[in-house]
Amino acid sequence: MSKEEFVTYAEKYTDTIYRVAYSWTKNSHDANDVTQEVLIKLYKTGNEFKSDSHVKNWLIKVTVNQCKMLFRSPWKKLEDIEEYANSLGFEESSCLDLFYAVMNLDKKYRLPLMLFYYEGYSTAETAAILGIPEKTVSTRLYRAKARLKDYFKEEYEDDR
Amino acid sequence: MTDKEIFRNTFDKLHASPEITTEVLNMTKGDNIVSIKKRGFARKAAVMTAVLVLVAGSAFAAYAMDVGGVQRMVQVWIHGEQTDATFTVENGSYTLDYKDAEGNDVHHEGGGVAYENGIERPLTEEELLEEINMPDVQYYEDGTVWVYYKNQKMEITDKFRDGVCFVKLEAGDDTQYITVKYKDGFSSSPHGYIQPDEFY
Repeated sequence: MSKEEFVTYAEKYTDTIYRVAYSWTKNSHDANDVTQEVLIKLYKTGNEFKSDSHVKNWLIKVTVNQCKMLFRSPWKKLEDIEEYANSLGFEESSCLDLFYAVMNLDKKYRLPLMLFYYEGYSTAETAAILGIPEKTVSTRLYRAKARLKDYFKEEYEDDR
Repeated sequence: MTDKEIFRNTFDKLHASPEITTEVLNMTKGDNIVSIKKRGFARKAAVMTAVLVLVAGSAFAAYAMDVGGVQRMVQVWIHGEQTDATFTVENGSYTLDYKDAEGNDVHHEGGGVAYENGIERPLTEEELLEEINMPDVQYYEDGTVWVYYKNQKMEITDKFRDGVCFVKLEAGDDTQYITVKYKDGFSSSPHGYIQPDEFY
């Protein structure tokens, strides 16, 4: 990959990587660390990407794997979610409440939520990225939605 | 507003640290990927240091004695035994060399940065020494599992329930609550047990 391509992709997807990493780690320092590692892997990869979506999918998969690697290491730390949330400067209390509610969910719910609701992936695409059955993604989204019913307005609709 | 819009509005606020992006982008100018990776490692160490800062003031089990320059002779707790070691510090990174119980040379290295009010700084010597003396968990070839904290050690081989063991170790005035997931990492805190689902 040329440096120009790398810079383009880094500028475009750094925050995507970070959001996925934060959804997994619930720790801004770890998420930044993962983001840096993933960008380094992007820089070093010999992969030839066919499209932007190909790059994005690859980056998210690498991010998930990097998060798993991170948590095999003995370096562990919990971050004060409230302190971090306050630093984000939410203008509406409903957003702050939703942030807390999502972060209080188990990791197995947080990541599908991020990919489905934020990144706009379908359940099938989310399943492919996470390497789990589509049915599992649907179930987790349904259960996550039930736990977030106070914040969401629509019924969850499986888009398969 | 749709649920996706509500969700996006909320998580739009999350951004990677500007420094991270700059560091990686700078990397593309210098063809020096190794130095960036080292900084990445250092950042991991810093993660733990942020906790250590919170417990600053607790007694150190190790002490340092100048031998000139940035290299010092120190005593650190290695697997429950106080051990003489050569400790070299430079800009938040350290090396630690000592002989183990069998007389073999052992070399460790690491380092880190701390974040204070959003500003990054190298760890101090005291912080690095405290990091070195944090609890450790060892899995041995004979199948036993031990937890070490300063001068304390405990075999926890048979104390796992559903793959998780909670251990409280006290060393002088310092107490550590250690949560161990069998061969899947551990976490410790001076304030109380961290639940298994709070780390992965």
